[in-house]
Amino acid sequence: MEVVSLNQISPDQVIIWSWMFITLNVTILYTWLVMAILVVGSWLITRNLSSEMNVSRWQHLLEVIISIIRGEISEMTKKGADHYVPLVGTLFLFICVSNVLVIVPGFVAPTSSITTTAALATCVFIAVPYYGISRNGIFHYVKEYFQPTFIFFPFHVMGELSRTLALTVRLFGNIMSHEKVIGILLAVTPFLFPVVMQILGLLIGVIQAYIFSILSMVYIASALSAEDEVHEEVKKEGSTA
Amino acid sequence: MHIDWFVFLAQIFNFLLLMYLLKRFLYGRIIKAMDDREAKIAARFAEAEELKAKAGEAAEHYEKRNQLLNEKKEQMLNEATMAADAKRKELMEKVRAEVDQVKTRWQDMLIREQDAFFYDLRQRAAKQLYATARKALSDLADVDLEERIVDEFLRRVQELDEEKSVSIRKAISGGGNRVTIQSAFDIPVPRQVKIEEVLKKQITDGFTIRYLLEPDIVSGIELRVNGHKIAWSLNEYLELLVESLTETLQKEAHAA
Repeated sequence: MEVVSLNQISPDQVIIWSWMFITLNVTILYTWLVMAILVVGSWLITRNLSSEMNVSRWQHLLEVIISIIRGEISEMTKKGADHYVPLVGTLFLFICVSNVLVIVPGFVAPTSSITTTAALATCVFIAVPYYGISRNGIFHYVKEYFQPTFIFFPFHVMGELSRTLALTVRLFGNIMSHEKVIGILLAVTPFLFPVVMQILGLLIGVIQAYIFSILSMVYIASALSAEDEVHEEVKKEGSTA
Repeated sequence: MHIDWFVFLAQIFNFLLLMYLLKRFLYGRIIKAMDDREAKIAARFAEAEELKAKAGEAAEHYEKRNQLLNEKKEQMLNEATMAADAKRKELMEKVRAEVDQVKTRWQDMLIREQDAFFYDLRQRAAKQLYATARKALSDLADVDLEERIVDEFLRRVQELDEEKSVSIRKAISGGGNRVTIQSAFDIPVPRQVKIEEVLKKQITDGFTIRYLLEPDIVSGIELRVNGHKIAWSLNEYLELLVESLTETLQKEAHAA
């Protein structure tokens, strides 16, 4: 029995349990599964961490992943990378694991649901002003929306909304379409070719995770850097005066 | 596409929860472990640098010490060489002195042997000469050699000058009026009487004569009295013979 039929464009439509407005669908179920894998896996690996020279393979794997994430963030923010690791790292790991688990028969990636991608994009949408304001204050952050003149305010707002929408639709479109393509190909050419497409799908899934998290960091970094430039100008004025 | 707003909010909550859990169980721990390791590595590097510096200092110290030891060794070697040279010279001197001593001893021994040889030669030659002369005289001139010796002795006594006679006289009177006449042969009584007559006539009267047979007096006769002597023997001729023979031997030794 197929978990999601071809007619059902999103796993949101596969309702497992529902009461009034509370709905438990496949998206939430598989999200919990991915969360459980990540949390339990992290707990198992990190419960016996070693800061000596000899470490376990799994610890090495996690350290490599975290180091790469830290490195990527550092390239954009220059300083305080560890502050953004939880958001960007979680985005990457959640999306990546969701997309890679597609290889398991019966699993439907939560990221193929527009609700999930919209929720993630909304988190980024909220995180950008959160980090910007928490670092430099609300005044400098809001001031950026009126740069270079107040006329640009609606454009800035539209830009914020459109890039959130872009994040949502890019991830949803890629993963959902890939699943549908695999489903169609299984009906048309059931041998070999779907396997190649699955491998391609894994690649696309990892790339999409990377793109989503990097773009999120770029948005956050752009807000931070704008604030940093303001600070540098203030410092320069202070020193010249 | 339909968005279920409950699911939407649930997913936001899920994501925030996941972020919190991962921050607690993953990022915090991993980053702390990595930072700790980095700090440990940095500490080890610092320690290694310190040890390296210490090792460098120790190496420099030992290098200097080694250099000092080498210099000391060189100095000791020079001193030992000088001491060995001095010792060698000393030993050489000692050996040379010993060799000289041995050589001197050997030469002394050689001279002694030579003297003994010549003494023996003289004795033999005298005997031989005496026998030959005696035979020749008796064969050719019918003359007894011993008598001729006594005659020659008596002639010498008679030819004594006054001064010598006086000194002998004094010696006889100082020596208890006793005169000793030694000869290599027995003097017959008539000749003894003749000798006594000549002595009394030539020197003095009132002494007694004692005759002694002394083979060492080579074919001769001698008068001894209190440190004075009147004698004749073949020794005088033999001395000449020995001198001549020694000269010849030495010349031949040098030539060899």
